[in-house]
Amino acid sequence: MTDLTIDRLGKRFGMQHAVDDLSLRIPSGAFLVLLGPSGCGKSTTLRMIAGLEDPTHGTISFDDRVIADGGSGQSIAPSKRGIGMVFQSYALWPHMTVQQNVEWPLTVAGWNRRDRAARVHEVLESLEIAHLAGRTPALISGGQQQRVAIARTIAPRPQVVLFDEPLSNLDARLRVETRSELGRVHRASGATSVYVTHDQVEALALATHIAVMNGGRLEQFGTPEELMERPATAFVASFLGSPAALLLPVVSDGADVVFDGVRVARTPGSALPAHAMFRPDSVLLCSDGDLDIDVVESTPQAGRHLVTGLVRGKGDMTTRVTIVSDQPSAPGTRTRLRLPDVPAAYFAADGSRL
Amino acid sequence: MSGRSRTLTGVRQPVVWLALAVLAILVGLVALPLAGLVADTVGEDADGAWGDVLSSPMSQALFWQPLGGSLLVGLGTGIISTIIGAFLAWVVVMSDVPGRRIIGVLAAIPFALPSFAIALAWESVFRNDLIGGTTGLLFSLGIPVPDWLAWGPVPVILTLVAHYYSLSFVVIAAALANVGGDLVAAAELTGASRARVAARIVIPAVAPAVLSGFLLAFAEGVSNFAVPALLGLPVRFQTLSTRLYGAISTGDATRGYVLSILLIVVAGLILFAGNRTTGGRSFSTITGKATRARITRTGGWRAPLAAMSWAAVVVTAIIPGIVLVVSTFLRRTNSFDSGLTLHYWIGGSDPSISHGMRGVLRDPVVLQATGGTLGLGIAVAAGAVLVGLFAAYAIRRRPRARIMNGTINLLAYVPFLIPGVALGAAFIAQFSAPIGPFGSLYGTFGILVLAGVAASIPFAFQTAKSALGQVSAELDEAAVLTGAGGPRRLARITVPLVSRGLANGAILVFVTMVRDLSVVVLLVTPATPLLSMMTFRYASEGFAQQASAITLIIAVISVAATLGARVLEKNRDDRPERSTS
Repeated sequence: MTDLTIDRLGKRFGMQHAVDDLSLRIPSGAFLVLLGPSGCGKSTTLRMIAGLEDPTHGTISFDDRVIADGGSGQSIAPSKRGIGMVFQSYALWPHMTVQQNVEWPLTVAGWNRRDRAARVHEVLESLEIAHLAGRTPALISGGQQQRVAIARTIAPRPQVVLFDEPLSNLDARLRVETRSELGRVHRASGATSVYVTHDQVEALALATHIAVMNGGRLEQFGTPEELMERPATAFVASFLGSPAALLLPVVSDGADVVFDGVRVARTPGSALPAHAMFRPDSVLLCSDGDLDIDVVESTPQAGRHLVTGLVRGKGDMTTRVTIVSDQPSAPGTRTRLRLPDVPAAYFAADGSRL
Repeated sequence: MSGRSRTLTGVRQPVVWLALAVLAILVGLVALPLAGLVADTVGEDADGAWGDVLSSPMSQALFWQPLGGSLLVGLGTGIISTIIGAFLAWVVVMSDVPGRRIIGVLAAIPFALPSFAIALAWESVFRNDLIGGTTGLLFSLGIPVPDWLAWGPVPVILTLVAHYYSLSFVVIAAALANVGGDLVAAAELTGASRARVAARIVIPAVAPAVLSGFLLAFAEGVSNFAVPALLGLPVRFQTLSTRLYGAISTGDATRGYVLSILLIVVAGLILFAGNRTTGGRSFSTITGKATRARITRTGGWRAPLAAMSWAAVVVTAIIPGIVLVVSTFLRRTNSFDSGLTLHYWIGGSDPSISHGMRGVLRDPVVLQATGGTLGLGIAVAAGAVLVGLFAAYAIRRRPRARIMNGTINLLAYVPFLIPGVALGAAFIAQFSAPIGPFGSLYGTFGILVLAGVAASIPFAFQTAKSALGQVSAELDEAAVLTGAGGPRRLARITVPLVSRGLANGAILVFVTMVRDLSVVVLLVTPATPLLSMMTFRYASEGFAQQASAITLIIAVISVAATLGARVLEKNRDDRPERSTS
């Protein structure tokens, strides 16, 4: 079993820092999701773990074994790291059948014919694609190709499995289906997994640990619950959750915290907040609330309603928020939003939590 | 469904007329000449031509030896071109050899040069005293050149390789680029050695491209005319192309036609076999998005690999050009002894030099030929692309007209199988006699244009089809809903969207036509001079400087147009790249 340690990892392309000072550690068997918008450095991090890119700073270790060291430039060849990888493009070998695609890595690894046949059969069965064994990748659907890619990756029983946005080329229904399949595969294999995505729903569904990245830097690392309960930065608060937390840009006028001319709370301690965060289910829509809200969408969901609207105070400033309400609201109407007395959190101008 | 078909009924009629017009043009340009060719060999006047060619005391010299020559040249060209092309493609796409981008640009150049340019350069260097006349540079420096290196199959194959490896390179490099880095990375992650990844993943994935590159070069080698005519004919090394040219140009037309048919059959079989084996086996479009190619670190091999690839492109793309340029400045052919001169470019008439011929830039016939060549290129490019566009459009608009579309597809493909000399022969067979009220087309500029269009239709048609394929049907349907008629939608929606692809195709047709010799060699008369024909004549008559100078004019025109096409291509690729995270 393999735990994964990343220590002050960095990658520079020319002058640009694709990844900067990234440190985290996950235990063996964990499912780490690297989450962030495109360009945040998550795929580069994954490719460094795979050995497809070399870091320019810091180290990556499996257990106590350093597999890549940006300082000394030493790095263990990708094939010697005991990893498997599912590519975004699937990277199925087009001239081989499904069976051959899954079997070839085993052949390379020196498995004998009988073990190979048994293992190929086993993984194809478990992913419900055994009937496709004789087809070439061009002749099967995108979802099936994805299952073949997963089967090929897990067949040699790698210690660490890497996923590079594996679901992004699938349609919505298949994405949910394959997602739960991935969770099942992970639990069955027990391999330490690292998974890259920009979809926070995928991240929350699959992860034991999430590393939220932005602009090449780590915003927060923790369990999904920790990130939801206690976002460390305004970025994390705005990125996670369906719907995400309400973030109101505020200023402090001494005693009070003010949003667009309207007092929302008492100034906390000594620090100067730039954003106040409220839980989407802690606010209420009612005609005598604190702030005006112009409703733009009202979506029924699980017996309640997600109401999206533009919040305004006394000036011209508007902020888009989504809240959870018991009642639907007609788009195009204006109502009022009542906030709880104390925000769930404050964030400073640099995004850090106060 | 019913609403939709009603919409279509309103515009169906003009498209039918368009399809019929396209069909008529294709029949006139492709089917009739071929029929004429066959008819002339079986009629009463044929006088047993088939028997003479295939089974008579003459048939060894008439057919079997030239066939052997053609196959030898074809195989040699195909094999060596593929090896060099594949090697360079790998270097450019997948290795870390220094300057690989420049190597890639240089490797594409030889194909833009006329094939006889390299043959002329070869002659300037390696020609020996076997057949008399002036010798090449090496010989005049006192270095003996063996006959096998100066004449016959070896120089023919090597100069054809220098020309056609470009083709293999382009095809294989495109396939390699398509393999995608992830595909290779996935294989490397299994722990397979580099050699194993190459043997099991990379090579099989590009095998169809390698095979089609080989077969193209093979077929071109079999049917090329200019190179064996310059380097083989003087020592009676014959291929089918030179043999049938010899037969027709010496008045033995019927046997020439028989040889043309046989050459078409041979070349057609090769290309047809190629299309069958590679058809539907292109692996490029299987997975989601292509990823950047994975660069192989070559380590200690880097320098030797770089030296080999640089040598290959310098010898084929740069040195022939330098040799040609230098040879035009030599007062005495291929010898530095008498010093340099600009006479062959801009000199006036001097009875002591080449029978008093003026420098090529002051020769009115050369200027006329330049005009004729440019005019021919432009007319053929415009004609072929228009026919191709209309054919592709008619097929696309009426996908269910099976028989009509099948016929158009077939007729637009057939010229691809016909070597240029044989196509020229077919046009003579069909159009040398007056047709109805019109006079004979032979000897006019018109027959050159028609033959050129016929030869270029397969490429133009494919280009138009793929350009149209990129315009989704919905764009046209959206225009249907506005009430715009068929011609108006074609002009306002479809043509603007496909114009860049078509312009690119037109430029390539233009380039092929400007440097073409094989299609026009049987059709040109003194009334319609062309640059390629003048080069050929000067080279055969021993006026090396003039031949080289005119070849350079052709090369400048071709390379300028090719660069134009590359610029168009570049702009199209200027889309923002996929942002990776």
